[in-house]
Amino acid sequence: MKGLTIDYGVLLPALAPVAGLVLVLVADLLLPRLRRVPYAIAGLASLGSAATTLPGLSLGGGSTRETFCVTGGFGAGSSSLPAVDGLPQVCLWQADALGSTLQLAAAVSALVCIALAWPRSRRRRPTDSTREPVEAVLLLAALAGTVVVAAGRDVGTWLVALELATLPVIALVALSGRRSAVAGATQLLVTSLVSFALLVLGVALWFAATGSPFLTPDAALSSAGAFSAAGTAPTVVVWPSVSAGLVALATVLVLAGIGFKLSLVPFHAWTPTAYAGSSVPVATFLATVSKIAALAALLVVLRAVAVLGTPALLSIAVLASLSMTLGNVMALRQDDVVRLLAWSTVAQAGWVVLPLVSISALGVGASATYLLTYVVATLVAFAVVAVTLRDRPHDGRTIAAYEGLWQRSPWRAGALALALTSLAGLPPGIIGLVGKITALQPVVAEGWIWLAVVAAVNAVIGVAVYLRWLRAVITADASAAAFGTVTRRPVMVAGLVVAAAVLVVVSVQPDLLLRLLG
Amino acid sequence: MALTLLLLVPLLAAIALIAIPGESRVERGIALGSTVVTALLAVVVVWGRHEVDVPWIRSLGVRWHFGVDGISAALVLLTALLTVAVVAHALAGPIPKGGTGSTFLGCILLVETGALATFLARDAILFFIAFEVVLVPMWVLVRRFGDDHVRDETRADAAGRFVLFTVLGSTLMLVGILFLVHHQGTSDLTVLADRHGAGIARPLEIAIASLLLLGLGIKVPLWPLHTWLPSAHTIAPTAGSVLLAAVLLKMGTYGIVRVVVATVPQGVAALSPVLAVLGVVGILWGGLACLVERDLKRLIAYSSVAHMGFVALAIASGSETGLQAALFGNIAHGVVAALLFFVVGDLKEQWGSADLQVARAALRDKAPRFGFVLVVGLAAALGLPGLVSFWGEFLALYAAWSPARDRPVALLRVCVVLGAAGLALAAAYSLRVARIVWAGEGSEAAEGPAAEPVADSRGARWAVAMALVVVIVVLGLVPHLLLGLSDAATTGLLAGLGVTP
Repeated sequence: MKGLTIDYGVLLPALAPVAGLVLVLVADLLLPRLRRVPYAIAGLASLGSAATTLPGLSLGGGSTRETFCVTGGFGAGSSSLPAVDGLPQVCLWQADALGSTLQLAAAVSALVCIALAWPRSRRRRPTDSTREPVEAVLLLAALAGTVVVAAGRDVGTWLVALELATLPVIALVALSGRRSAVAGATQLLVTSLVSFALLVLGVALWFAATGSPFLTPDAALSSAGAFSAAGTAPTVVVWPSVSAGLVALATVLVLAGIGFKLSLVPFHAWTPTAYAGSSVPVATFLATVSKIAALAALLVVLRAVAVLGTPALLSIAVLASLSMTLGNVMALRQDDVVRLLAWSTVAQAGWVVLPLVSISALGVGASATYLLTYVVATLVAFAVVAVTLRDRPHDGRTIAAYEGLWQRSPWRAGALALALTSLAGLPPGIIGLVGKITALQPVVAEGWIWLAVVAAVNAVIGVAVYLRWLRAVITADASAAAFGTVTRRPVMVAGLVVAAAVLVVVSVQPDLLLRLLG
Repeated sequence: MALTLLLLVPLLAAIALIAIPGESRVERGIALGSTVVTALLAVVVVWGRHEVDVPWIRSLGVRWHFGVDGISAALVLLTALLTVAVVAHALAGPIPKGGTGSTFLGCILLVETGALATFLARDAILFFIAFEVVLVPMWVLVRRFGDDHVRDETRADAAGRFVLFTVLGSTLMLVGILFLVHHQGTSDLTVLADRHGAGIARPLEIAIASLLLLGLGIKVPLWPLHTWLPSAHTIAPTAGSVLLAAVLLKMGTYGIVRVVVATVPQGVAALSPVLAVLGVVGILWGGLACLVERDLKRLIAYSSVAHMGFVALAIASGSETGLQAALFGNIAHGVVAALLFFVVGDLKEQWGSADLQVARAALRDKAPRFGFVLVVGLAAALGLPGLVSFWGEFLALYAAWSPARDRPVALLRVCVVLGAAGLALAAAYSLRVARIVWAGEGSEAAEGPAAEPVADSRGARWAVAMALVVVIVVLGLVPHLLLGLSDAATTGLLAGLGVTP
């Protein structure tokens, strides 16, 4: 390997959580049984990660912040990359505006999750073991994985980072205490293994087809463009048509593997169990950071194959319409708000992949935009659930617990109303509406009328889902005063305020969010 | 500046109202004050033909582009002035049960904001966003402040039906708009109207037009997409019914003129037979339903379906007169339906229900003011010459009799004959209501509380009703006040010259 350059400044978004992770471990080694310090370190580390993505946001179209760049012969069989000086180099880490935005969103979401999970100062019993350092380490590890997967461009890093973003969450689910958590964690673990198998197979096929370990457009071209390049450049691809088919197959397998993580139907079965089993902050993490990791991973592959155009489009369309429909219909029947949000995640995942039927900059940007609107709104909804659950530990998960919320705590109710209307895509949640417009644009541009109509019908069912909850919020409740004592929870409320503030700002000026993606 | 304020004043007032906890006297001042200011601003904006155009969502190419022209001017004035009436009327009586007065008034103001933004929007995607703004507040009005004599499920059904039907309509419209915008490369309605469908293949134009008409048809509502309307009208509180009939339905017909007729004329021409037939079926269906309907509010809702049928027929004619008739019919129905819903809402408040089968004391003797206003409203609804509705319906039939060159003349003439029969039905049901409620047919059988005469209209409510009566008579006698406003604009819109603000 020659000419490998490393720019640590560019790597900071990933280094910050890793450094935080090490710090937590050291702190735990020196002073065990700390409860809040690990979380404080984790919070600072995510804040640092968020702050260091900022230089990447201002990048114009096409330019990237790169590092780990190699010129020429790297890895086995990558002879499609001529080892000639002066030719474009390949970088293993490429953070463009889209990647940086996803990293920023992941870091901020992790920060809110940490605020929501902020531990009590005292243990109930002195003998209780301290789980907090472990949780903080797991959170940071998953965040690091998410940040890396958004920028990694070689198959090894991509796979490892994607699993790094997934596996700690399984442990988090299992640790979160309820008896049903173990069931959720087991289901998640099995699902992740299947997903990993599919991903590895997909990546192997990619390597076979392109002969390149890089997930870049150049590598994809080396399979299809082999005809034209034949004679001028040496190539390992012998049968171009076969390799083009292999790339398509690889894409479908990757799509299926990531479908598990995005909870697309029919790979969604783990979602309600895992969400309902885990604690609310962990469910929030699953619903936000994990989804960002999955979509970031998917976009890396899809942007690479974009140059080919791809025959996987129909499968994307089918997955999207199935997810939207089943997710919405099932969400309509839930009385437990966490399960409702779980099924809503399934439906929203359908909306997230919907624009990808147009594998183009337009489709990729629209998909990321929709994901961000979903993440912001979901964060607020989960934060409200977490705060409510502290007030009413016994029934805070039922929709009935939200009756009269408007009278009890108007600000919290307002935040929830804005989040729900954003998810439903109705004003005053303008950002949700803009997200729907953005998601439908590529579908229309490619002329998929049936898909657009399916999406329109699902927008209606979605409205019914979220209005069911919203109805409870605005209902007058005679017994409004009859609820438990209010526990002081400033950090948790701060998390809610941060998320809600972001939601309000992007609702007033959606361009702030849209422009981030370049 | 005035235009931005026109949208911001009701919006900020609504947010302030909703944020006010509990009951207070301030809310009344805020609500009334802001609606009056909004109405004044509306007059200023219409008079000066203001326009505002700044970038908003750059990535989508959506601009914060609002403006007034001949087509929207009357609707902007109607919305702003009618909201003053609605708020004055609401403050003069008890706030409907179901929540605080501040939430109620806040929702009214939010509906006003959304409606004004819809009528002022000069960008197709902005139009869609504004179109959606009214949904949630209107849903709250029906769901929470609706008729408390019925069971909770009935309210849930009415409110849910309203919001789900409308969302389906607007999302289909969005798909249509996105197709249009994708193929024309701009979402500016003025430019789209200038192009007049140039550059889009005819089949695609028809597909876009049918998506848009389907979506907007739910809002209008066109038969058979009207099934959400009667229940929503019946359950909604008086303020909700008035806004729904007078403002929200107009967004549908206005949208058809602004977004469909102006941008995909060939598509509309191809679909005009369908539009005409559905309009006429709506006229007859609404009329027949009114002949047998027992609930007075529901009856007026069905009559709205019939009146909107005339508007659809007028649009289908494709001529300049037809467009004028549609715009005039819009305003006429807005004023008349508002008056009728005010009166019937007041009566229902005292009666406890609006069932026509229950024998009650006659209005003529016991409550002459209610009686007078009701008779004027019914006379206007049946299209009596000299009152405002006459011109809308007469012009609609006239335009459909001699339509534009590319329309099927024979079919439209059949529709005209059937529409005229619909006018006879309107006379029949109006007289039926007058006979029962005003003249008190069968009132001898009234017993118990129903035999008690209602307290007559007074104070602000009486002033609101009289103001509407004056408008009905004045516009009926001098229709040119309104026709002159939209004259130049309709010509430009049909010729594809765009509409200069």
